[in-house]
Amino acid sequence: MLKIGEQDEKIVVIVGDISHGLLKDFRKNYPERYFNIGICEPATVNIAAGLSRVGLIPIVHTIAPFLIERSFEQIKLDFGYQELPGNFISVGSSFDYSKLGCSHHSYADVSLMAHLPNSQIFLPGSGLEFEIFFRESYKTNHINYFKLTENPHGVEIHEKDIKVGKAITIREGSDLTILTTGSELRNCYDAAEVLDRNGIDSEIIYLPTFKPFDSAAVRKSISKTKKFITVEELSAQDGLFNAVLRSIIGLGGVVGKQMAIFDFLRIYGSYSDLQEVAGLSRDHIVQNSKALLREEV
Amino acid sequence: MEQTIFPKINSDLRLRIVEMICKSGEGHIPSSFSIVDIIEHIYSFELNVNPKNPTWVGRDYFILSKGHGAAALFVVLEKHGFISSSDIAAYGTKFGILGGHPDSTKVPGVEASTGSLGHGMPMAVGIALGLKIQKKNNRVFCLVGDGECQEGTIWEAANIGSNQALQNLTVIVDWNGSAQQLMPLENLEAKWQAFGWNTLVIDGHDPLSLQKAFKETSINSTGMPQVLIAKTVKGRGVSFLEGHGLWHHKIPNSTELEEIHRVLSE
Repeated sequence: MLKIGEQDEKIVVIVGDISHGLLKDFRKNYPERYFNIGICEPATVNIAAGLSRVGLIPIVHTIAPFLIERSFEQIKLDFGYQELPGNFISVGSSFDYSKLGCSHHSYADVSLMAHLPNSQIFLPGSGLEFEIFFRESYKTNHINYFKLTENPHGVEIHEKDIKVGKAITIREGSDLTILTTGSELRNCYDAAEVLDRNGIDSEIIYLPTFKPFDSAAVRKSISKTKKFITVEELSAQDGLFNAVLRSIIGLGGVVGKQMAIFDFLRIYGSYSDLQEVAGLSRDHIVQNSKALLREEV
Repeated sequence: MEQTIFPKINSDLRLRIVEMICKSGEGHIPSSFSIVDIIEHIYSFELNVNPKNPTWVGRDYFILSKGHGAAALFVVLEKHGFISSSDIAAYGTKFGILGGHPDSTKVPGVEASTGSLGHGMPMAVGIALGLKIQKKNNRVFCLVGDGECQEGTIWEAANIGSNQALQNLTVIVDWNGSAQQLMPLENLEAKWQAFGWNTLVIDGHDPLSLQKAFKETSINSTGMPQVLIAKTVKGRGVSFLEGHGLWHHKIPNSTELEEIHRVLSE
């Protein structure tokens, strides 16, 4: 943010009393373009639209449910309906605040943002992915949403493979396609290794850009394997699984399985505890993959 | 029918509102009547704008946060050359750019798409803040409804406006008593003052009161934003349209339209 802020004086950062440490350098160097508005997210988003109206580039940042779900009417009308560009960067992902309860979770934010015709949506699972996506997108004529995680996947991906709108083939395989986004890549990667030891050759397609969705890459992989699992920390009602289904319309002889969030995760604990309860752990992926392969086409 | 005696200003604009709304069968006549004098004053005397170049960067901004009063804005925009009589004739139709609420992506001179209450004013705060960041002298005016002042985002934005010392921002409250029907608040002025705004209570239909109030706002050097709480009458101009209730969204029948014509043409 500091580097881009240095180069682009149109950037204005607005935060909801959060990430003070992370953004302290930007605040110190560009105090006239940094605003800690406080705890009033709908008005904060609305005001950002006003900034966009006069040609500035707003970057609005706070916790995902408050930024997107609480303020969605403002995003929908003041950005979407008015066709104004802007950037929304959330923290907390879907349930990173694992000890705070469901008020701080957000499973449907990606679905909401996807409804806006002019939106782009990123679930970067690493700092490098975020940096590349942000640099390429922040001043385009889009409503950009970056759903950040505090649990990076740690899987090595080469910089040249990280492109806006492009899926990344993490692992090639022939028996099964595992599709995922964001931090769940870690569990998918680990699950693939277990499956490999069990003689199952899985292909991993990683989609850190949710929108625009790389339907071609998804269709190509599933055409080959005919079996797929989607693994996502998003609402089961509308997320990665639905996007994959849209990509394979008309493709015959395919079986698939959805691993997503079906209900509020009502426990407290660590991030991995909640992944376990959500049925999104490495072992869940292994079990579901094996079960899928036992199904007859 | 009994007539209201009042300074007969803007009868032409009121007639235009009624004709436009009756032709399409859609619109809020009383809500538009309560604000048309204010909007006409702003466009005639306060705004530095260029109808031939509505997006000129040096322009002042007017935002109608009370979006259902759009008919008032449209007839003023027509009068000042932003839109044409054909646009007015096509109001509410698939052939036109004008509808029940203003759309900034369609209508020259409209700065914010409103309709959902509580959105226009925060947008105005954002525009004022953006102009301040850019060190520009453009001014920002925003008209809100008194009922709209029940929305939480109005007060979130009011808090931000004073905290950011947006001296370039003037809000006008159309205080026509709508709020009193639901959640009475006797002292709206005190509420705005509590949020750090300079306040002035004025007569929203009296040209002299408007002139004096806006002159004060133009020389505001307090460093704080200001609000004009304009006492108005919903439906002002035709006595049987005045007040609250039935006429909020009603379209006159032919007899009523004839009477409205007669009153406004005198």
